Amino acid sequence: MSEQDETPGRFRLTRREFLAALPPAAAAAAALAVPEELLAFTVLQPVEPGLNPLKAYPNRGWEQVYRDLYTPDSTFHYLCAPNDTHGCLLRANVKNGVVVYADPSFGYGKATDLYGNKASARWDPRVCISGLAYVRRFYSNRRVKGAFVRKGFKEWADAGFPRDPATGRPPRQYVEGRGKEPFVKVGWDQAFALAARALIDVATAYSGEAGRRRLARQGYDPDMIAAIELAGTRTIKCRGGMPFIAPFRVGGLYRFSNMLALLDAHVRKVGPAEAKGGRGWDNYAWHTDLPPGHPMVSGQQTLDFDLYTAENSKLVTLWGKNWIATKMPDGHWLTEAKLHGAKVVTIAPEYQSSSSKAEEVIIIRPGTDAALALGLANVIVREKLYDAAFVKSGTDLPLLVRMDTLKLLRAKDVFAGHRAASLRNATKVFTPGDPLPQPAMQEGQYLPEPLREEWNDHVVWDTRTNSARPVNRDQVGRFFEDTLLDPALDGAFEVTLVDGKKVQARPVFDILRQYLVDTCNPDVISRVTGAPKAAIVNLARQIATNRRSTLFVVGMGPNHFFNADLKDRTILLVAALTNNIGHFGGTVGSYAGNYRLALMTGIGQYVAEDPFNIELDPDKPARVKAYWKGESAHFFDYDDRPLRVGNKQFTGKSHMPTPTKAALWANTNSILGNAKWAHNVIVNTLPKIEAIVVADWFWTATCEYADIVFGVDSWIERRLPDVYAAVTNPFLQSWPRSPLPRTFDTRDDLECWAGIAAKMAEVTGVRGFRDYWHFVHERKISTYINRVFAAGNTTKGYRFEALDASCREGTPFYLMTRTSPRVVGWEQTNESRPWYTRTGRLEFYRDEDEFIEYGENLPVWREPADGTHHEPNVIMARPHPAIRPRGPEAYGLDPNDQSTEVRQVRNVVRSPEELLKSEHPLKARGFSHILITPKYRHACHSTGASTDLDVIYWGPFGDFYRHDRRKPWVSEGYIDLNPAEARALGIEDGDYVWCDADPSDRPFVGHERRPEERRLFRWLVRARYYPSILPGTGRAWFHFYISTHGSVEGHETRQDGLAKNPRTNYQAAYRYGSHQSITRAWLRPTLLTDSLVRKETIGQVLGKGFALDVHGAVGAPKESYVKIERAEPGGETGRGRWDPAAKGFRPGYESRAMKRFLAGEFIRKRG
Amino acid sequence: MPRVYNWQIGREMEYPFEGARPRRQAGAVFDTNKCIACQTCTMACKTTWTSGKGQEYMFWNNVETKPWGSYPLAWDVRILDALGPQAWKGATYEGKTIFEAAPTGEKALGFLPEDLDYAYPNRGEDEIDTPMSPERFYLRLPHDAWFFYLARICNHCTYPACLASCPRTAIYKRPEDGIVLTDQQRCRGYRECVKNCPYKKVFYNHTTRIAEKCVLCYPAVEQGIQPRCMRTCIGKIRTFGYLNTPERAEADNPMDFLVHVRKVALPLLPQLGLEPNVYYIPPVHVGSRRFLEMLFGPGVDGAIRAYRRAMEGQDPELLGVLMLNVSTDRIIRRFKVTDGQAEGFDEKGQDVVRVPLKEPTMVRPFHDERVQAYRYNVT
Repeated sequence: MSEQDETPGRFRLTRREFLAALPPAAAAAAALAVPEELLAFTVLQPVEPGLNPLKAYPNRGWEQVYRDLYTPDSTFHYLCAPNDTHGCLLRANVKNGVVVYADPSFGYGKATDLYGNKASARWDPRVCISGLAYVRRFYSNRRVKGAFVRKGFKEWADAGFPRDPATGRPPRQYVEGRGKEPFVKVGWDQAFALAARALIDVATAYSGEAGRRRLARQGYDPDMIAAIELAGTRTIKCRGGMPFIAPFRVGGLYRFSNMLALLDAHVRKVGPAEAKGGRGWDNYAWHTDLPPGHPMVSGQQTLDFDLYTAENSKLVTLWGKNWIATKMPDGHWLTEAKLHGAKVVTIAPEYQSSSSKAEEVIIIRPGTDAALALGLANVIVREKLYDAAFVKSGTDLPLLVRMDTLKLLRAKDVFAGHRAASLRNATKVFTPGDPLPQPAMQEGQYLPEPLREEWNDHVVWDTRTNSARPVNRDQVGRFFEDTLLDPALDGAFEVTLVDGKKVQARPVFDILRQYLVDTCNPDVISRVTGAPKAAIVNLARQIATNRRSTLFVVGMGPNHFFNADLKDRTILLVAALTNNIGHFGGTVGSYAGNYRLALMTGIGQYVAEDPFNIELDPDKPARVKAYWKGESAHFFDYDDRPLRVGNKQFTGKSHMPTPTKAALWANTNSILGNAKWAHNVIVNTLPKIEAIVVADWFWTATCEYADIVFGVDSWIERRLPDVYAAVTNPFLQSWPRSPLPRTFDTRDDLECWAGIAAKMAEVTGVRGFRDYWHFVHERKISTYINRVFAAGNTTKGYRFEALDASCREGTPFYLMTRTSPRVVGWEQTNESRPWYTRTGRLEFYRDEDEFIEYGENLPVWREPADGTHHEPNVIMARPHPAIRPRGPEAYGLDPNDQSTEVRQVRNVVRSPEELLKSEHPLKARGFSHILITPKYRHACHSTGASTDLDVIYWGPFGDFYRHDRRKPWVSEGYIDLNPAEARALGIEDGDYVWCDADPSDRPFVGHERRPEERRLFRWLVRARYYPSILPGTGRAWFHFYISTHGSVEGHETRQDGLAKNPRTNYQAAYRYGSHQSITRAWLRPTLLTDSLVRKETIGQVLGKGFALDVHGAVGAPKESYVKIERAEPGGETGRGRWDPAAKGFRPGYESRAMKRFLAGEFIRKRG
Repeated sequence: MPRVYNWQIGREMEYPFEGARPRRQAGAVFDTNKCIACQTCTMACKTTWTSGKGQEYMFWNNVETKPWGSYPLAWDVRILDALGPQAWKGATYEGKTIFEAAPTGEKALGFLPEDLDYAYPNRGEDEIDTPMSPERFYLRLPHDAWFFYLARICNHCTYPACLASCPRTAIYKRPEDGIVLTDQQRCRGYRECVKNCPYKKVFYNHTTRIAEKCVLCYPAVEQGIQPRCMRTCIGKIRTFGYLNTPERAEADNPMDFLVHVRKVALPLLPQLGLEPNVYYIPPVHVGSRRFLEMLFGPGVDGAIRAYRRAMEGQDPELLGVLMLNVSTDRIIRRFKVTDGQAEGFDEKGQDVVRVPLKEPTMVRPFHDERVQAYRYNVT
């Protein structure tokens, strides 16, 4: 098959056309398969009389044709590594120099670790539909086939980067052609030079006082301008997409960011002490994969586990986690767990694919998982089903809270002369500035001394002595049991403070119980979530029955709501109450994507090598000094603004973004092509950015709007090695080097970073720029890899060369985590180690000022911010002494203002009755559906969603021949609607519909003033009658390629009607707009604090405030409330009904035969 | 017309040729309870065999969601409707097969799908039988609202309708393995096979103007390697091997064990009379037993009971066979389950794979003295 440029004319091709249209390998194969004489018209020969082809057949020589077609000339292993969280070593079958098909390696079952542990063959095979389809992608005409520069950008560079004297902005004519004008193919050397010069120019323009004045005139928030600290390099943003996939290739951009300190030193003439690198954007948090409440409870990034632990469990609860659809190579662990007797329960707004593997199916309103968890907690607490010993020794629930200040009681305030205990349980207190061992040699948690003093110790009410007693951070698990304290969980106690003041204090458990009992009884929760009361009560009892053996598998579904942190805090609460954290068969895992570079703790050796002190001896470790600074990309997505609403800056200092003036992105369709609010970014934000450099091997929407595009090697062509791991399986893998020649004029990403740096060395005369990539120039990447391995807990003891040799045969190593399956919390629960929190316990109460102010010191129920039928983002509570948030008036806001910006910071409390009576403000205007965008089996990420063979199976509209010429591609996006509701809206199965979210800011701010772009970016999409979905909810899959200026132009001007950019071959899966037309960026105040204590991103050191991918902004990409209107009929000719509906084989259109089929009426059983 | 014995319907039936069984019959068991509809099998086949012009629409292997999914459109509804309601008495089929219901002048009852019927191969995916409504917000077994996945390839039938109806006698069954092939040299594209295969697993190539079908990857099978769709099955639903007739069943042959000994795997639409050689373990969660019996025949109750016994820990042997599924790409001829592990042996009796029924848990030392490292789960 050819790419769909030339949609095949049905039945009409001659043999020559047939062969000419194929890629070389397929053509060769087809020539074999179809002997010449078959195509000529031949006179029919008489059939052999008496032949019984069941018995024998005379002429079997032709069978050789298929043997030839099947048999490869050679094979080799490569790593299939899309952004989908698996990564599989596949065996390429090569014929005539081309990879024709891929096989699983069948090598996972041979994996071992340093200590002789072995995997079993049950791990094989590992592969999926997308991996097999990618043979089409490697040879696609949508590859980036070299280095390209946007025409206007080149003109700007050629003119010497002229700028407006007052604002510093480039003149409009150089910028406004982005996405619309052609790209110029240039030589690699020229491309590197252009990128280097542009970055130097940006750094220069925005450095110092002059730079500060320019940014002020451009209107940036003053706090953002202050955050650049006069260093123009801080306006350069690097993002390597999901660096755990390829820490050296895409992670190289963070190293590049660190190197920019050399540029700052050059531009501002400062020394290493003052020099500042660039800023590096997040990944895990940017994708809203981070479960933001996990650090609030556990002090570290995420609780998760290798999925294969399922067979150790008795009850597997899936919370918006469609396991079998989105973790396909690990799907069998779930079905096999069932064969071992585990029960599976799905909790989702639909009967989803995993529901077909479940014993119980609970349907809930989208985004109400936290409410459901509170309902479960109500039953568990009311019926006293909790594990009191675990609650007392492992959680903060027995700690006393002062009811006057709502702060946790500190021992020093209660006991005169109390000095904070000196900590010995797997903990070291250090003085900031002291050198710390590299991560591999960190033998416990490292607490900065000032924090230790600030926290002091906490207090419980001991029922044995009937008195307040101090409890310190070491005293968790068995160490708490050793104290012989028996803390009260219920009650109110009068405590006399050191200063003589008497205060009322209550255990966290007690104030939480009050909230649960008063507000969250199963009747209320049933009405909030939609789940029947029996489902809530039964599930709670089952979880409580299965202590240590209930898995809480939480997916992206609930994680993509604004209230995601509350979902984490409440689900973890249910798990903690039932002792289901940290056991092989009972624990909590979050799986909204799961690349956590944190597992490769030695990575600092690479991404933070001191650029002023470069180690060129390959046998020595690097000297580490971080000049780059992490930043959440959500601020960029929020139109490059912080969260400032009313009279308050809600963005903590540690989170404060800088203005974005230049960007380097690799492997990252998601940063623009699939960003929430992508169309707003394209229209409103991009014009503020002056240079966008993108490296990718497939032309994405991010490439569409770039200035410089580097075409890099695909996975079957990689010349430089790399490594890979994921958090759902236990393996460490390499990217084996390819024996194949490059298909196009591409380079490795690493060669791009080294190439730009070399040009910077030329322009500036600073040699360090070149030396910083010495081992790339020398082709000795293994030097960097081995340094990282030697410094990391999970890799020390391994040499890259051995790993690579094994992976070339299709077999990975185990990552050397403490246990396999890796279960976060195993050490805390089984070895009584403290969590990474102030108290060392799992913390459900947050007494930081921010949390008290926002009404979330307790884990409460907050409605979704937009995706709800009710008043958005209000807190549900009956009067409670510990829920006392500041209302909108305190911020100078109208209490009735529910606009989207204001809504983010609105802390309004409603009783259950008020809440359930309330309505979304758009409901009165005909808006009717919560629209969610989950991930999907046929393209867990956009890599698969942009491959034609894959998307033929993308839902019901795949059609290679495009019988309907309106179709943007061989498949297209769609919205799932409950049939009866769709019919009531006048929509038929398969119709095209308009889908609009809040018109105040979507598809982009100001669309009413820009009708042309509104036409491009308003979402036109097909509707499917989908019986499995909850009424009031619509569903569209994430990850299809969005419409761009070029794709719409293609759709409207090309003869074939494809939504394909005639200049770049970018192929959209929508005619107009996209699933991002209805999303926007949302910033949540509780995620922007400077006070939350958490472990740093990597290693065992604790700190507070922002930490990249740990505590920071996440999005809310499943938040939208939409209006859906019929646009065009679904019939293939543009009229009438879509064929399958017209023929009577669709839900709601059943013919008589179909009805009998559904009822099983074609067979009767007698006797 | 000759009469042949079809054990799946418990009786003799009419068939255009004299009965003749191959020396060995290749076949497979698909466990619908494990199928995740990932379509990896589909793509394995597609990228190997049908990526040329004229083959775009072809999926020799596909996975469809029942009840709404079908490829081509309503292939099953239409043949069942054409045949009309029929009956089983016990294990004997009392109704008519498609050969017995053939219109005058035809070899079998069939129909030729239209071009558009082959579009939208994944239509119906994940769609439950009746629309979601509040009374279905809490489902327990068996589910009142349901779907399940049905992976389909050519059944390499014992009594193929394609073979029976070819006017050129260009379709044959290999005596050494029972694989049914369309002779690419002799076929002239009459499409009688397309019309009469009730499973619609023979396809017309509009570029070469001849018919094509699944070859069960015989170039692999000949080397003792499983077909592409089988060895890429990450849901691990597939047992591939050689099946005997019931009276010659061998209890240590995984295929015979599943089909004849435990009777946990059933043919698809046995009432059509083709004695198909791909078997299905029926889904245990589906609320409509009638629907399952319509598709898999009268053995559904027994099969579900047998599967449930394994889930309750009472049949380690069955558990073991299912754990061996696709744990190797070699064809397994014999198996053994002992002491918490399952072993598979090839044609020559060589031990080709051994798996624990439960994957072990490993706890590594916190401090590795030798390499000087601390091991953590929280990094």
